[in-house]
Amino acid sequence: MRLNKIILSFISALAILFSTSVVSLAKVVGDKIVLGAAISLTGKYSSNGVHTQNGYNMAVDRINSMGGVKVGGKTYKFDIIYYDDESNPKRAAQLAERLISQDGVEFMLGPYSSGLTKAIAPVTEKYGVPMVEANGASRSLFTKGYKYLFAVLAPANLYLDVAIDLAVEKNNGKGVSVAMAFEQDAFSQDVRLGVLDAIKRTGSKKVIDDKLPKELNDMAATLVKVKQMKPDVLVVSGHTKGALTAIRQISEMKVDVPMLAMTHCDAAKLSKQHGKNSQYALCASQWHKTLTYKDDFFKDGMTYDADFTKEFGYAPPYQAAESSAALLVFKDAFERANSFDQKKVRDALAATNMQTFYGNIKFAEGGQNVDKPMVLFQVMCDDAGKCENKVVAPTKWASAKLIHPIPSWSKR
Amino acid sequence: MSISKNNLILYIGILTFGIAAPFLFPAFKVQLSILCVLIVLATTWNIQGGEMGYNSFGNILFYGLGMYLCASVQVGMFFPLAEWTESGGEKTFVHTPTQFFQGMAFGLLVAAFVPAIVAGLIGYSILGLRGHYFAICTLGLGVAAGEISGGIEIIGAGQGFTTPPFPDVGSLDSRGEFFYFLSFFVLVLTFITVRGIYSTRFKLILNAIRDNEDKAEAMGIETMKYKIVGWMISAFFCGLAGGIMGGLVGYIDSTDVAFDGREMGVFMVLMAILGGKGTLWGPIIGATVFHIFKEGFWTFFLGWQYVALGVLIVVIVIYFPEGIMGWLREKYPERFGEVVDEKDRKAQVELK
Repeated sequence: MRLNKIILSFISALAILFSTSVVSLAKVVGDKIVLGAAISLTGKYSSNGVHTQNGYNMAVDRINSMGGVKVGGKTYKFDIIYYDDESNPKRAAQLAERLISQDGVEFMLGPYSSGLTKAIAPVTEKYGVPMVEANGASRSLFTKGYKYLFAVLAPANLYLDVAIDLAVEKNNGKGVSVAMAFEQDAFSQDVRLGVLDAIKRTGSKKVIDDKLPKELNDMAATLVKVKQMKPDVLVVSGHTKGALTAIRQISEMKVDVPMLAMTHCDAAKLSKQHGKNSQYALCASQWHKTLTYKDDFFKDGMTYDADFTKEFGYAPPYQAAESSAALLVFKDAFERANSFDQKKVRDALAATNMQTFYGNIKFAEGGQNVDKPMVLFQVMCDDAGKCENKVVAPTKWASAKLIHPIPSWSKR
Repeated sequence: MSISKNNLILYIGILTFGIAAPFLFPAFKVQLSILCVLIVLATTWNIQGGEMGYNSFGNILFYGLGMYLCASVQVGMFFPLAEWTESGGEKTFVHTPTQFFQGMAFGLLVAAFVPAIVAGLIGYSILGLRGHYFAICTLGLGVAAGEISGGIEIIGAGQGFTTPPFPDVGSLDSRGEFFYFLSFFVLVLTFITVRGIYSTRFKLILNAIRDNEDKAEAMGIETMKYKIVGWMISAFFCGLAGGIMGGLVGYIDSTDVAFDGREMGVFMVLMAILGGKGTLWGPIIGATVFHIFKEGFWTFFLGWQYVALGVLIVVIVIYFPEGIMGWLREKYPERFGEVVDEKDRKAQVELK
């Protein structure tokens, strides 16, 4: 059978292809520290993936131009190898494997979203590769006993429980009725658990508990129920698409609810895209430019905001800020470890205790940042229709007073 | 099944290559394991799509089912499954090496047999549909399974399911080697089975169903029986492939990893068509070429990989409508054991 020849030659061609394409870049080449990152450049998380990448790049440029990283008396510069994980956990796990075993990366930056971080963490853990991640907030990441995972952000269950507390406070300490709509993904479901805890704690009751699909383009069914049940609080979480869909349909359907609490408003550029329609929305955020944290590289939140806007043409959402902070953490850890030994760097990371423009960073045993509270901001618009996000809680950082309840659509 | 001397050399060559591959290209173990899984998926899809003429988009159902089943059994055998998947849980469970391998072995068995049974049950009710109706119906199966599993708390619902991490045995490479050999073993098993049934009357019946189902029935063949058995064989191996993939990826998400109809579900069809459906080697060659191209695009056209993939598909459809095997067969018919009557061919050309 002559066909054999074809197949055999095909296999040998394959073998040659494989053997020539093994390129191993060591983690520290010359004066470069090469970090690896799988980022969602396409797929459902692409907009937040780009925020993450911009945040990383901004910090790399800044740190490199301000003297780089000093280890063992030598100056090193950061460099990042990016791959596109297509917003797919399967792909992300493969890419982590590829970054480590093929590209020889010894230090990793996190991807965007909890689901993808959950897929990558077992791989980095296996190889003992320290990973500083800025966008995986699901609590389940921090209860698996991972030793090489460090998150600069507060866990997801803390995102919106403050909102429930606020509503109860406004209701003179009495429990409120809560309508919930959460996307079916690791992050949003964890936000939901946090809200459920808060409902239990405050003696409130849930009246709607809907799960929304992943490609979130329509939540009219939930909103119809909200119109009927008239809850005190409506909580929605579903990344950028969830925020956009919620505002679009709430304004179209003229749904009146005293309090609307969401996530990802700034990443979705809500106030820009929907203007006055997004007014009064209450949003959980890891960071806000008016917070008064400081560091040597980005100075403070306002400066970061201005510099970022200048470079990328839009105001930085917290996803970008926390990503930049991840590099500051790495730099700090490398210098304290004074070595590129993965174990030493890991120990240095665990001992991190620093302030960045983004907030204080100190890791708990499980790897989550315990030294940085969440903030809530509200979208507020002036008469000319110019909208701004203003921090309303916690009181320590508040720059405006919470507007409650939200005026009905007929009076707007 | 008889094996000629030439074939024997070929098989031994491929087997040797397969066993040596992870040591020759140690950095590519994960890609090679995935390649094995892809070949299994394409080859089993070919039983329906190629030989039987039933374009099934539902094989992803068995793959996802196998993935969840294998992981659930692996965890559930030793620990409470609900506590493992609970997101806010504080407890950390660790499998000992024995528990891990025992769980995996038993999990894979369940992952193979349950989907096969499910295929039998579903097949009984929907294999009566033909053509586009069958395709659309099976498309719905995968989508529905993804949404349903995303709502079942005990397997993690929207939070996803972290599969047990590989225990600390041997060196850093042992995980990659374990999953590679496991998937290679399943690939060999699939190949032997498929090659076996392709040399029997069973294949001829499948072909008869493809060519004219009514006529096949009229000739006294119980087509339904053969259609169901064919689908069960596919489901058996799809389930195995899914179980391995779950362990390899380490994290199961309902719609993005398990019931990933948008990617895996489409890829398995694409690979079989690229290689040439209705042939034994076509899906294997198709999967290999597809995987290499995809990995290549991914590295060299970052951000444009799907555009490149799209162009590849267009090129395939225009220049290789019969797949790579079909193209080769047309080009070198004598290598496929076909006798070309030069005179007759010329006569036909002149007629045109």
